[in-house]
Amino acid sequence: MLPALVRKTWRDDRRALAGWAAGVAAFTVIYTSFYRRFQGAAEMKQDALPKGMLDFLGIADMLSAAGYLQATVFSLIGPLLLLMCAITLTARTIARPEEDGGMELLLVNPVSRRAFAGQRLAATGTAVTAVAAVPWVLLMVIVPAVGMQIPLSRVSAAAFGLVALVWCFTGIAFLVGAATGGRGMVLAVTGAIALATYLANAVSGMAGAWGWLRWLSPFHYFIGTDPLHTGWHPAELLVLVAAGAATTVAGVVLFDRRDIGV
Amino acid sequence: MTSDYAVLAEDLTKFYGPRRGIEGLTLGVEPGEVMGFLGPNGAGKTTTIRLLLDFLRPTRGRATVLGLDPRRDKATLHGRIGYLPGELAFPGRERAADLLRFLGDARGGVAWSRVTELAERLDLDLTRPVRAMSKGNKQKVGLVQAFMHQPALLVLDEPTSGLDPLMQQEFLAMVRDARAAGQTVFMSSHVLAEVQQVADRVAIVRDGRLAAVERVESLGRRAVRSVEIHFADPVDPGEFAGLPGVGDVTVSGPVLKCTVDGRLDPLIKAAARHEVVDLLSAEPDLEETFLSFYYHSEGAGDATRAGA
Ligand SMILES: Nc1ncnc2c1ncn2[C@@H]1O[C@H](COP(=O)(O)OP(=O)(O)OP(=O)(O)O)[C@@H](O)[C@H]1O
Ligand SMILES: [Mg+2]
Repeated sequence: MLPALVRKTWRDDRRALAGWAAGVAAFTVIYTSFYRRFQGAAEMKQDALPKGMLDFLGIADMLSAAGYLQATVFSLIGPLLLLMCAITLTARTIARPEEDGGMELLLVNPVSRRAFAGQRLAATGTAVTAVAAVPWVLLMVIVPAVGMQIPLSRVSAAAFGLVALVWCFTGIAFLVGAATGGRGMVLAVTGAIALATYLANAVSGMAGAWGWLRWLSPFHYFIGTDPLHTGWHPAELLVLVAAGAATTVAGVVLFDRRDIGV
Repeated sequence: MTSDYAVLAEDLTKFYGPRRGIEGLTLGVEPGEVMGFLGPNGAGKTTTIRLLLDFLRPTRGRATVLGLDPRRDKATLHGRIGYLPGELAFPGRERAADLLRFLGDARGGVAWSRVTELAERLDLDLTRPVRAMSKGNKQKVGLVQAFMHQPALLVLDEPTSGLDPLMQQEFLAMVRDARAAGQTVFMSSHVLAEVQQVADRVAIVRDGRLAAVERVESLGRRAVRSVEIHFADPVDPGEFAGLPGVGDVTVSGPVLKCTVDGRLDPLIKAAARHEVVDLLSAEPDLEETFLSFYYHSEGAGDATRAGA
């Protein structure tokens, strides 16, 4: 039997989770199912936008199946939706109850502080992972169905990258919440990091002198390896997983050390 | 001191940055005892309680609860404590029954009959969502969860706040039952009258410091009563002003008004020298005593001496 706290966390988040899962699913299905109809129009759009803009948006070519999938699901809106989901839900593990006062009755749970933080994150982490895996599951069906010529293992590599990216930012959001207990802090700091590293990755792709910036960006490790064309890159994905794990551990340790609800 | 105490604070101190929460608190609560923890707003009651539960970490000193260290033994300890937060807020949007089931499961399972029995006692409808409840009903949910697993120690921060008088009485009965069952109760309050009905001792904090610890019975002896005597003829205030325990003497014609701290005997003997028409004495108001002794600084020195 799962710990009561884990079940409680899921129960409290179930509506938000269902909403996010439905939103991400709708987004994935709508964009990819336009693939065939988009084929003609794509050429126009490709010409309409300047090359620099396309690079910045991470849309190399909209014409190939891989390019289309990258442009729609993996370049901007997909990660944006999933990170918003991950960050807002992770803000609920510690920061939100601490701010609205519900924390005391959660924390009198007879487990250690560390176990408490661990169980809270375990519950939210699995839920967020499930949402982040929605595009993966759907693409396994949709890609062959709409006739996109991409090997499924490459789609999996990119889709898993999305999950790993979400883990990385879930860890960061958890760390900020566990260390500060401020919900606004979680949203602001994690959001700023996401925006800054997204831009860093985009800029480094365009300007050679700034190329080194991409090594600092989780987005590089997720999509910079071009998984839809080149498949799995375990080392890069491992960086994301390790970043998520390290921030999680740091969060648990800091939560164990501080005053709660001051 | 040994840790035979249910709660033992030794030089317990908490500063919020430069702000004092509680300072130098040394206090022991015996097992099986009911201790009231009184003091005005901002005195440091909630701070102390949150230190005992390891939500806050002391700046100095330490606390031992049920012989355990609040931080190191949090897991064991929280299973044996029933805690009612002073600023009650509930996690989630569930019905009271679901919330209580979660809290019961988290504490290793609580017989549901125990929950319904407490809910009936407090006239609480468990099928309603907690968020939508009135303040008093929320307080009842808080009380049910604190009492439901029959913990060795109950730590209650302003347990009667929001309860109507009838429910306050029911709560006090619950405390008496807990005491009879050998549980220890440490409860904060602003109202001496309610604590006095159930507590063995009261500890009074003011301004972040312990002002006094006294047995409840001895509080009565320290009570100040106001007395009014109507004589047949006008009297001289000088005759009464110097008497032991007598203060605030005012005389208007044949009517003497004063306060008496302690025994009435000296005043009665002095009054007997005149023809007395009427004598009115209000019952000693503990609340007034409490206010005068502990809330105002002039009473403070006295209170500290009495507590030492
Ligand atoms: N989070 C906090 N940050 C800064 N100061 C605080 C904090 N919490 C309490 N204090 C200060 O500590 C002191 C003690 O507050 P505490 O809440 O313990 O009082 P209390 O006795 O519970 O009061 P009340 O009867 O109003 O509940 C007050 O001066 C208060 O301003
Ligand atoms: Mg308080």
